[in-house]
Amino acid sequence: MEKMIYSILSVSKNSEKLNALLVGMKGISGTDLKAISFDGITAVVSDVKRADLITDRSNATEYAAVIENLAQQFTVLPMRYGSIMESAELINKMLERNYHEFQQNLQKVENKNEFGLKIFCDSEKLKSELRIKSEADTQTPEKPATKIKNSVYKDYVDKKLKEHRLEELMLTYVDSVIAKITGYLDRLNTINKFKKMATDTNIINAVFLLDKERKDALIHVTEDLKNQYPALNFVLTGPWPPYNFVEIAIK
Amino acid sequence: MSDNKILFNSGSLEKFSEEIGKLTNNEESRLKLGPDNADSGLAKLVLTLVELIRKLVEKQAMRRVDGGSLTEDEIERLGETLMKLELKMEELKKHFNLSDRDLNINLGPLGNLM
Repeated sequence: MEKMIYSILSVSKNSEKLNALLVGMKGISGTDLKAISFDGITAVVSDVKRADLITDRSNATEYAAVIENLAQQFTVLPMRYGSIMESAELINKMLERNYHEFQQNLQKVENKNEFGLKIFCDSEKLKSELRIKSEADTQTPEKPATKIKNSVYKDYVDKKLKEHRLEELMLTYVDSVIAKITGYLDRLNTINKFKKMATDTNIINAVFLLDKERKDALIHVTEDLKNQYPALNFVLTGPWPPYNFVEIAIK
Repeated sequence: MSDNKILFNSGSLEKFSEEIGKLTNNEESRLKLGPDNADSGLAKLVLTLVELIRKLVEKQAMRRVDGGSLTEDEIERLGETLMKLELKMEELKKHFNLSDRDLNINLGPLGNLM
């Protein structure tokens, strides 16, 4: 029977605790969860038929809930939804083959959680403020691209140039916010990843990996950042299993 | 996402939920290729790539204009070229009944293409 893998855990001396936990949990579509172990690391799996597996919100939520429950008691490496192997024996061999990489990643995320920070803005308002500030800083209104008069093509380039300059201003601004966040987070010893401009309004998507007991300190940092940037909306979420900090190319 | 996962939110929950919807609703960005719609599916894929290249060309051109390395004549010709490219793209989108949102493929963890 094919097996769906939910996550890899560091269990070592806690196999009884894991077995007790698995008895009270269910996998996708109410399936039983089982542990397949190799020398202190364990894959949590359930039976699945690859052909019958549907990728929808309900299954993805159930899958995430299993990982979430495991992460509350163990150090986990979450697997991507749809990670399926043909048999328990193959999973056991996979654990053996990738043992060193799993151990390295488990050590990296031990006693840590992932937190997400999304920063939103009123895009039009922010662009307008940045344009005014830029003109005030240079003390000159924006220069057009050419001096040619009465040309539809010249007007087109001028319009595109304005858009381009505004985009550059936005990116510079976003970089300055990221630099500020990074400075604030230095004292929390986090590992950070940033994505810029996911949409016009979602200017920063960040994920942080930090010690579980530093959650409150991170909330304070976010409050401080909000005070620095009152025009931006900050949404901090977590704690999450370390979805964005596991780096393994499984052999 | 359950409310207890939100540790700090300086805006309204409704606004946040709306924004998350924008990030995760990728129905329009899916490429639907099948026997009945091979033409439009392929057109969507091809036009997405063309649009990506057109935008990259436009961005690079604006960098050069902004850098002041082009003559007035070159800027004039550049404007004509870029404008005609944009108009041609609009024409093609209309022909295949596609919108700007259709041409922005969601690349999953990498975000949107454009």
